[in-house]
Amino acid sequence: MEKVSRRQFLGMSTKVGAATLFTGVFAPSASSFFGLGGVAHAGTKKIQEFNFAVLTDAHLYNIADHKFDHILEKAVADVNGLAKKPDFVLYGGDLGQSGKKEELAKGKAILDKLTVPYKIIPGEHDYYLDMGAEWRGMFGPEHWSFDHKGVHFIGMNSILIKDFWSARKLTPTERMGLLEELECHQCGAWGVGEEQLEWLKKDVKNLSPDTPVVIMTHSPLWDYYPRWNFQTLDAPEIRAILKKFEKVIAIHGHVHQVVYNQIGNIHSAGLLSTSWPWPYPPVTLPHPEIKMNRVDPGNFEDGLGTHQVSLNKDFAGMMDYRAFADLLPENVKRGLKL
Amino acid sequence: MNISKLMLIGVAVVGVASVSVAYAKSPRSEKQIAAENKALMDAVAKGDALWHDGRLGTNGLACGNCHPDGSATNPHTWPKYQTNLGKVGTMRDMINWCVAVPLQGKPLAFDSDEMIALEAYATYTHRGITIAPGKDEQHGAVPVKSGPGYP
Repeated sequence: MEKVSRRQFLGMSTKVGAATLFTGVFAPSASSFFGLGGVAHAGTKKIQEFNFAVLTDAHLYNIADHKFDHILEKAVADVNGLAKKPDFVLYGGDLGQSGKKEELAKGKAILDKLTVPYKIIPGEHDYYLDMGAEWRGMFGPEHWSFDHKGVHFIGMNSILIKDFWSARKLTPTERMGLLEELECHQCGAWGVGEEQLEWLKKDVKNLSPDTPVVIMTHSPLWDYYPRWNFQTLDAPEIRAILKKFEKVIAIHGHVHQVVYNQIGNIHSAGLLSTSWPWPYPPVTLPHPEIKMNRVDPGNFEDGLGTHQVSLNKDFAGMMDYRAFADLLPENVKRGLKL
Repeated sequence: MNISKLMLIGVAVVGVASVSVAYAKSPRSEKQIAAENKALMDAVAKGDALWHDGRLGTNGLACGNCHPDGSATNPHTWPKYQTNLGKVGTMRDMINWCVAVPLQGKPLAFDSDEMIALEAYATYTHRGITIAPGKDEQHGAVPVKSGPGYP
């Protein structure tokens, strides 16, 4: 009881930090304010109601019987056991930790136990040992789109960094090692790059503005905390390309935490990992502040979980954070409207 | 005069003598100060490396997995009662708990260079925050724009 009340208190009162140096805070419009958000714009095309599940950031190590293996297995079992069966699963990147073939193969074997199809994008931990070669061999293209029951789904590789390794003659292992640190001192900011921007332009060119769109990237499509690559360098260009749509739901991994933002027509939500939680960075969270509680370091499942996103016929989205421990303050427990 | 009185006088003399020289640090030259600051930054850099490279543990994990830039270590709140420790402990107790439990490594000696370096790193990333022993607060680390975050 004591723990619950303390957490409820913290959920309402804790401030991570006062600095607002790097955060991009955009005032939401009255109709999109949390609590009212999720109301579809009048023009959005009607869709067939359905739901999908989301998993991300397993960070599997090439170590037998590792605790993160069991957590990913638990997450897959959780999704397979959902009362309302999802149509498919989206996976948000960082399946492995060090980009090793063994890690990705182990992850694939676990994800293949999902009883519904899944679509996956890469994270930096999957990528920088061999620049994505093994990952592509196992999972296919790094960006994709598909249509499902009236919704256009897009997945993109948002972790492409300008070459910082060749001039310094880093080995692939050294390059990967640097990127394994969230606060890599030498890596720089990442994004989707010119090629994918061109692809995205073409991909959405013939879609009408009333088309409901869901986009998944590993990193957020807004400047949250660039120090930790809680950003995508060309997010402004992506947002400009998607601006014509009435409403876009953006889902991202990498942050290992509950976080929400809205910029114009884009409703953005961060995901829980199945490895470890990240603390909130020292910036003011966007308004309305949506966050998880502090995590108990003694409970290895605290801060972790799965997600189910339900879309109704008006493209009103509801993200259920399915936390493995007592993590969510009351407002998030009820689900996050997207 | 008996022996105990002699001892008292002796203690008093030593006391007076020590007061006259007992600065925490004697006045130092700019050069000495620079060298001392460098020694601290070397410890911070050593702590940063240990924090991230996984060598303290046996399961691949490092402190940095959960504590980027030293975040969520709350160095300003120690000593405090910590549930995981089951007692009032210091930051070094908690570092060793993290090494032993989530990282499945071997606890460090409290006076080891490694332990001091880890504490130096975590504390330096929170410089300027008000000391508040026992405070139940998660305070962010000092914001960093780029680079290591220390000189």
